[in-house]
Amino acid sequence: MNSNNLKNTILRSDEFSCPSCVGKIEAKLRGMDGVDSVEVKFASGRVSVAHDPVKVPVPQLVAAVAEVGYKVKPSAI
Amino acid sequence: MKNWNTWGIVIASGLLIIVSWVTGSDVAMIAAALIAGYRIAISAIQALRIKTISIDLLVIVAAVGAMFIQNYWESAAVTFLFALGGALERATISKTRQALSDLVAAAPETATVLRDDQPETLEVWELVPGDIVLIRNGEQVPVDGVIVSGNGGVDEASITGESVPADKGEGMDVFAGTWLRSGVLRVKAVGIGADTTLAKIIHRVEDAQDAKARTQTFMEKFSRYYTPGVMVSALLVGLFTGNLELALTLLVIACPGALVISIPVAIVAGIGRSAKDGVLIKGGEYLESAARVDVVVVDKTGTLTNGRPVLTDVVVLDDAWNEDQVLSLAARAETASEHPLAEAIINGARKRQLSVDMVEFAEPVTGKGIRAEVDGRMIAVGSADLLDHTPDKERILALNQAGKTAMFVGVDGRAVGIVAVADTVRDDARQAIDALHKNGVKVVMATGDAQRVAESVASELGVDEVHAELMPEDKLALVKQLQSRGHVVAMVGDGVNDTPALAQADIGVAMGAAGSPAAIETADIALMADRLPRLPYALNLAKRTVNTMRLNIIIALLTVAVLLLGVLFGGVTMAIGMLVHEGSVLLVIAIAMLLLRPTLRGETVVKTASLTPADAL
Repeated sequence: MNSNNLKNTILRSDEFSCPSCVGKIEAKLRGMDGVDSVEVKFASGRVSVAHDPVKVPVPQLVAAVAEVGYKVKPSAI
Repeated sequence: MKNWNTWGIVIASGLLIIVSWVTGSDVAMIAAALIAGYRIAISAIQALRIKTISIDLLVIVAAVGAMFIQNYWESAAVTFLFALGGALERATISKTRQALSDLVAAAPETATVLRDDQPETLEVWELVPGDIVLIRNGEQVPVDGVIVSGNGGVDEASITGESVPADKGEGMDVFAGTWLRSGVLRVKAVGIGADTTLAKIIHRVEDAQDAKARTQTFMEKFSRYYTPGVMVSALLVGLFTGNLELALTLLVIACPGALVISIPVAIVAGIGRSAKDGVLIKGGEYLESAARVDVVVVDKTGTLTNGRPVLTDVVVLDDAWNEDQVLSLAARAETASEHPLAEAIINGARKRQLSVDMVEFAEPVTGKGIRAEVDGRMIAVGSADLLDHTPDKERILALNQAGKTAMFVGVDGRAVGIVAVADTVRDDARQAIDALHKNGVKVVMATGDAQRVAESVASELGVDEVHAELMPEDKLALVKQLQSRGHVVAMVGDGVNDTPALAQADIGVAMGAAGSPAAIETADIALMADRLPRLPYALNLAKRTVNTMRLNIIIALLTVAVLLLGVLFGGVTMAIGMLVHEGSVLLVIAIAMLLLRPTLRGETVVKTASLTPADAL
C-alpha cells in the first residue's frame, strides 16, 4: 500500500465499558480493504485508524464500528 | 437514540418478567430472556469470530442451558440482569471519563476565515496555517495563533485556569478553545486542530490513561486464561456431578467482569481528576511509582525560592575602589550570564543609576561564577576559586549565615569587593513541605548555592536534609545514593541542568510546565501551575488511586470466592449469582468514581500558570 495516501483518523466513543470491545472493533476494521492499522484505546475511549481516505472514507469506518455495536464520532483532535 | 435502544431492551425485558410473575406465563418469561439475550448473543458470536471467549458467551451459554432444563426464570433473570448491569456500567464509566470530555468539548469546530477580506464560515479542519481568522465578541478562539490586529479580553480558563480575562493585543498569542469576552480580533493561524495546546494537553492525558500499569498488564494476562478456564471447569463439574444447573451457575458466578474493569476504571478516574487540577501524570505505571515515593529531592533556587533574587549588599574590600565601582564592574561582567543572580546584580546597579554596558568577552565557569574582560581588565564575579589570591572569607560567611548568596568581585585576580544577593522564599513552600511530611515523605534540598545560604533556607522551611554547593553530576550521585538506601525518589527540577538526575529519579517532576511543551511531553509528573503544594497533592492522589485499584481487585476476588462457597453449600442460584456479580461490577466502578471528587482545598483550582506572550509555543 502506498503509505503516502494514509490518513490518521481518531474516532471517539463513550460506550467502551467492556474490554472485549477492543478485539472486536480492531478485527472488524482491520478486515477492511484500505485500512492499514487500527488501535483501540479502551481507557480513553478512542480508536486510532490509519487508512486510505479514498478507499475507506471516514463515514465508512464509523458505519463499520456501528455494525459491531458501538457508536463512534470522528474527532478533530 | 442509543440510550433508547439499550434502556428500551432492559425495560421491555423487565416488564415481561413482571408480566410473567403476575400471570404465571412461561411465554412471557421466555420472551423476556430472548429480548434481553439477543444483543448479548450477537456480541458473543462476534467475539467467537475473532476466536475470543468473552463474558457474553458465558452468559449466553448459561441462559440457553437454563432454557434447556426449563428453568425459564433463571434464563430471563440472567440475561435481564446482565443487560441492566451493562447499561448502568456504560453510563457510569462514561462519567469517569468526564474530566477529559469537558476539555474535548471545549475544542472548537467552526471558524470564520477571512478570504480576500470576506468572512467565510468553515469547519476547523478546512483551515491551513497562515489563514486569517476573525473572532468576534463572545466567540470561541478556533486556532492557536498570533493577533494581527484588534484587541480584547480573552478568557483562557480552559487552558490556564485563570478566570479573569487576559488583555490581548497585536502581536500576542491566543490559544484554541479560549473565549473572546470582549473586543474583536483578527488572528493568523499557527496551530490548528491536533497542533493546538489544547489538543496536546488532551492527548497527553489520554495517552496517560491508556498507558498500562504493571498491575493491569498482569490482570489482563490473568483474565485471558481465566475465562476459558471457567468454561472448562464448569464443563468438568457438569460432567462429573451430572448436575447441569450447578455447572451453569458456576459459569455465571465466575464471570470476571469486576476483575477486568477494576483497574482501568481507577486509572481513568485518577488521572482524569489530577488533570483537571493541573497535574499531568504520565500513566498507570507512574501512578504506581509515585504512590511509593518516600523522598523528594528539590532544587532551591526557583523551586523553594521565587528565583528572583535582589541585590542586598555591596562591600568594598580594597580601598582603592568605591562601592559604585565595585558594583558597576560586577554588573558589567554579569551581562554575559543567564543566571538569575546576574539579573539581580544588574538591576541593583541600574537602580543606583550606574550605566551597565555589555561586555564583549566573557567566560562563565560552571558552579563558580563568571569571568569577563571589562575596560581591559579581567573581572571575576563568584567564588574564591576564580581569584589568584585567597581572600579572607569571613565577610562572605557572615553574609551566607544571613541567608544571602555572596560573591567575590575580583580585578585581575585580586578581590576588591563583595556583592550579595538574596532570594525570597516562596509563600507556599512551607505549606508544601508540611504536606509532604504529613504524607511520610522526606524532603532533601540539592543546590549549587552556598552551604550556609542553603541551610538558612532549609531551617526556615523544615527541609530534612541539605546538600549544598553541588555540581550537576553531584545531584545525579545524590539521587543514586538515596536509591541505594532503598528510597523511592521523586525529583523536582528545571529540566535544564538537572536532566541526568531527573532521568535517574524514580519520578521526575516538572513545575510550571504550562509554558513548556517539552516538559509536558517528558516529565513523569508535570505540574502545570507553578505551585509547589501541587506536588504533595499529586503524590497523595497517586496513593489513593493505587489503593482504589487494590481494593477493587480484592472486592472482585472476594465476590467470586463468596459466591463459589454459596453455590457449593447451596442457596445461590444463577439469578442470585448474576445479581451479585453485576452488583460487584457497579460497586467497583462506584469506588473508582470516588477518586473524581474534588479534593484540592485552600486554593482556587488553577489548571496552569498564566501564559505570557514570551511563553509562545
